[in-house]
Amino acid sequence: MFPFKTRVAAFGVAAAAALSLAACGDSGGVGGATAASQSPVDSAAPVTLKYWTWFPAEASLKKVIDAYQKAHPNVTIQLTEHEAADYQKQLPLALNGGEALDIVGVQVSAMTNTVNTQLRPVSEWEQYLPKDWRNQLEAKPLEQAQKISKDGVLYDIPMGSIGSAAMYYNPAILAKAGVEVPQTVADLAAAAKKIKASDASIQPVVFAGDAWWQEEMLFTIAGQTHPTLSDDILKGGGAWNDPAMVDALAAYKELFTSGAVDKATLSLMSPRPTEVFTSGKAAFYLDGSWQNSLLSKTYREANKINLADVGAMGLPVIRSGGTQAMRAFAEGGLAIPKSSKNVAAAADFISYMTIGDGVALWAPDLVLSPSKKGFAPGADVLSSDAAQKGFATIAGLINNAGSNRDSNQDFLNNVEGNAILDVLNGKKTPQEAADEMQKQWTSGRYPH
Amino acid sequence: MSKKPKGGRRGQALTALLFLLPLLVFYGIYYLYSFVFLVKVSQQRVSLTFINAVDVGLENFRLVLTDPIFQTALLNTFLLAGVAILAGLSFGFVISVMLATGVRFRQTLYAIFLIPSLIPLSLFATVFGQMLETQDGMFNRMLRAIGLDALQQDWLTGSGSAYVAVAILLVYLVGLPIMYYTSDIPAANLDLVEAALLDGANAWQILRLMLFPLLRTTHITVILSVLLGSFRAFDVIYFSTGGAPGGRTNIVGVYIYNSTLGNDRVGYAAAAAVLVLVVALGVSAVQMFLMRKGSDRV
Repeated sequence: MFPFKTRVAAFGVAAAAALSLAACGDSGGVGGATAASQSPVDSAAPVTLKYWTWFPAEASLKKVIDAYQKAHPNVTIQLTEHEAADYQKQLPLALNGGEALDIVGVQVSAMTNTVNTQLRPVSEWEQYLPKDWRNQLEAKPLEQAQKISKDGVLYDIPMGSIGSAAMYYNPAILAKAGVEVPQTVADLAAAAKKIKASDASIQPVVFAGDAWWQEEMLFTIAGQTHPTLSDDILKGGGAWNDPAMVDALAAYKELFTSGAVDKATLSLMSPRPTEVFTSGKAAFYLDGSWQNSLLSKTYREANKINLADVGAMGLPVIRSGGTQAMRAFAEGGLAIPKSSKNVAAAADFISYMTIGDGVALWAPDLVLSPSKKGFAPGADVLSSDAAQKGFATIAGLINNAGSNRDSNQDFLNNVEGNAILDVLNGKKTPQEAADEMQKQWTSGRYPH
Repeated sequence: MSKKPKGGRRGQALTALLFLLPLLVFYGIYYLYSFVFLVKVSQQRVSLTFINAVDVGLENFRLVLTDPIFQTALLNTFLLAGVAILAGLSFGFVISVMLATGVRFRQTLYAIFLIPSLIPLSLFATVFGQMLETQDGMFNRMLRAIGLDALQQDWLTGSGSAYVAVAILLVYLVGLPIMYYTSDIPAANLDLVEAALLDGANAWQILRLMLFPLLRTTHITVILSVLLGSFRAFDVIYFSTGGAPGGRTNIVGVYIYNSTLGNDRVGYAAAAAVLVLVVALGVSAVQMFLMRKGSDRV
């Protein structure tokens, strides 16, 4: 990260550049877009597509790009892959500065409303997609991608969906300690005790202590008894100090007081929990479904993860009467900026990535649950019973999510995450933390 | 009597201006424009695209100033700067004097003390953050290894222990003050020290009563450079404690960074940046005043 002064200066300079470019007439930025009518991609004219994204892993993307370029020798795709957090700032600045990009990845929940003014609506380029493209995709991710945009227009086609929190486990450690996959928090507490007795060096449960992850945990727990609580608060005008939220905070704390989880996990910052789990030093590991890759033996071997097998499940139920839950949302949106002059070719590549043969090339990473209807990874990817059952469980939880995996990021980083941690660390009661969140939420500091 | 150069002072000034012009243009674009733009954005509700901005006047400033999280971050900035200054004036000063006495392996020791300040702070802070982990962190493992299990801490869950952890990190970054002192010690009037030695003064007396006052201007440089540096210590906190516990070790840099991430929050973040900039400029003004006063006395 850059020092603050540098960032402020860079911020100003980028803005200055943006203004200068905007003054140069038809730059391809706002108001400078060319019409979407283009010659079809199959024409022999050479085309270079500039593609910016943060997802999926570069190795997977290159596989897809190589295959596409082989099938379309006149098309060259120039890929620039960014680090996820930086990408959220770099893409809006680049588009505003008139950077001529043809395909951009959009983090559907976090970025849609910061870049949509610079993107072409899908309706402008769907003429270049197969006629039945909508029928080839799951309806929910498309609906989510459209609804999240403040103007209700669809600007990107999501490659898939992700959900959280999922719980991954190491079957070898469970077998050694003689424990079954836990279904309730009482089961998990009993399992943690046995695992610790079996091998004191193993941490029974790990997850990140970062402020942002606490929201994922809290709404997963809340979703077990109040599936729509996240949507109610973040989009529906509900209050953070709703009794259901206060109860969710109390339930989250019980995860620790019951003995199921040790507070030591809160000192692990991302990506340390992943490292602890993949090095075989933790039995259970909570993270988002983007860690489904761990279920793949091929992925583990390619990344030198020395675990014989990995299983997955939802977070065990804390309150009686609850059911395992997850928040989920469309992710990996692919869009065409207004500045693109290669709309037809860009649309064809997006089609290849979302409903075409490209899916089978990137999806085995398992980071996303693909939007393409009927896609299932083969036995070569999910080679064990635990992995197959785990993938099916996570997919089921994603498809039946009660709330969108949504977030007000500045509120989360400055207020929410810290308020939750204060409850877990015994500095605030659930009611005090909930009241504090509601007070800040309505302070005018966090537009929502 | 020497002949006056043709054109006189006015010509010299013009020549100087010509030489300075490229730099002035550079500063004009990169700093002045940035500042004006920042002030403008600070009065808007706008996203990173800077499109559809809504003018909100001074509302962003009111919201930032009344935010208890910002107040804590600003207080922490000064508090942690105080710790860094104290470390510089004590450890930095003593180590520099010891190194100046011609101790063996002087260059190696100098490098050891300087390295933490020279490597990227993000890397240094990330490693330090891992050292604070409860179960496998180096601090707790070390305490267990020497039989002091009772002193193990959840470093990042208690406010006190988290502040202590950050303070330890700042002490490690004492290299910059050492550099200042090391360059200024040879320039001090060491005849006075020699005289004191002949009069029978011991090492502690020489250190406290002779060298410390002799390096007064260096102290001022250390104090103000460390204080100003604390406004740029974003990476130190972000990558070590991440503001834990509950944001209590956050500083203004982290606050501003977090503020840029929300919808339509760039104006708010800009308002916070302007306020911090004003405070930093105030500190700079004090620095210039004290430096001038110090140099007048010397």
